[in-house]
Amino acid sequence: MRLKLLPLILLLAAGCATVPPVTRSWVRPAAALPADGFITQRAVFSARGAQFPFNGYLAVSASGGKRLVVTESFGHVIADVLVKPDGKIFVMQSSRMFPPEYIRHGVAADLECIFGSATNQACPVQKLSSNHFILKRNFYSLDLRIVDVKAGRQPENLFDETKAEKE
Amino acid sequence: MKKLKSLLALVIVFAALIFTATGAVVPPVLQDLQKKMAAVKTVYLEFTQERVLKLFSDPLKSEGVMLIERPDKIRWETTAPYQTILIGDRNSVAQFEANDGKWEKLKLGFPQLLQHVLQQMAAMNQGNVNVMLNDYDVSVTTNTDIILTCIPKDASVRGMMSSLEIKLQPDLSATREVVLNEPNGDLTRITFTRTKYDATFPAGTFDQTKPLAIADVKAVVKHAP
Repeated sequence: MRLKLLPLILLLAAGCATVPPVTRSWVRPAAALPADGFITQRAVFSARGAQFPFNGYLAVSASGGKRLVVTESFGHVIADVLVKPDGKIFVMQSSRMFPPEYIRHGVAADLECIFGSATNQACPVQKLSSNHFILKRNFYSLDLRIVDVKAGRQPENLFDETKAEKE
Repeated sequence: MKKLKSLLALVIVFAALIFTATGAVVPPVLQDLQKKMAAVKTVYLEFTQERVLKLFSDPLKSEGVMLIERPDKIRWETTAPYQTILIGDRNSVAQFEANDGKWEKLKLGFPQLLQHVLQQMAAMNQGNVNVMLNDYDVSVTTNTDIILTCIPKDASVRGMMSSLEIKLQPDLSATREVVLNEPNGDLTRITFTRTKYDATFPAGTFDQTKPLAIADVKAVVKHAP
């Protein structure tokens, strides 16, 4: 039964992804990460008492933007989003677990929150170490670790928004 | 949920290779494999996993260990690039994530799904290879290795997984590789780098509250006859 409720929970979370008050700004890891590179993450998403471990694969390009692919532990893609340098968001692949609305308003927002380049924008993130972050929204939290960083230019096709899925 | 079915399928088929079956009309190779594996009580496997997505130029690699003990215990542990442990039996399942050197037990969001996986594996362990033959059209190719190609009978499953290839050593003594092909060209390749049968696993290996560290398990397996 909980499976059927999950999209609703996620949508609720996305719809309520207002940022709780933060007392201070923080310096995002973007400054410490390569402008062009590939960042592997392990994350645990928590909502309503349930936890879901995910993997995140983030390709970053100074000119192309950020392409985040989220998979469940065994590798199946459950979310794929492209955020262009101008902030435009393209849902490249969605899933039952992560519908387009949640990817657009939840995943992309969290991506920018943790890996965005701005340094003074309020963001509900606690930085526990240089590679460990906890993001807390009203209805969910994300415990994220950067487990691998590879610097290097990423293929341009990764940042081609014309391949976004039709919504 | 649907996509996780392919994982179920992978585990089911893999379990079918490990465990035994009787009574079903099965291809000769499977019959031979069943005979060979009939007396196996435990299986220890070290693996590397490559997730090949057309999107990325390099495969997404991980490493881990899989342990199975009759009648129904299983431990799947990813050791790199991150650490996570999944342990289950026919009654329950638990997952742990490494958190600053300590293991944190998760309140799983999909316990029933994982439980289903384990129930299927338990069925295999009890000799029910029919699950494999019920769900797949199985063909056998004999070359330097023996390759079982499994095509899902269910069209909705084929929408996620076009085929499953299982490469066995010619004497059927071990599984070399499992490849899960997807319709869009993506695939997952699991290569088994070390296999050991009938090692006695130490207490705590399958503990769902405080699992024994894999290093301690490996130390015992290493010295097992």
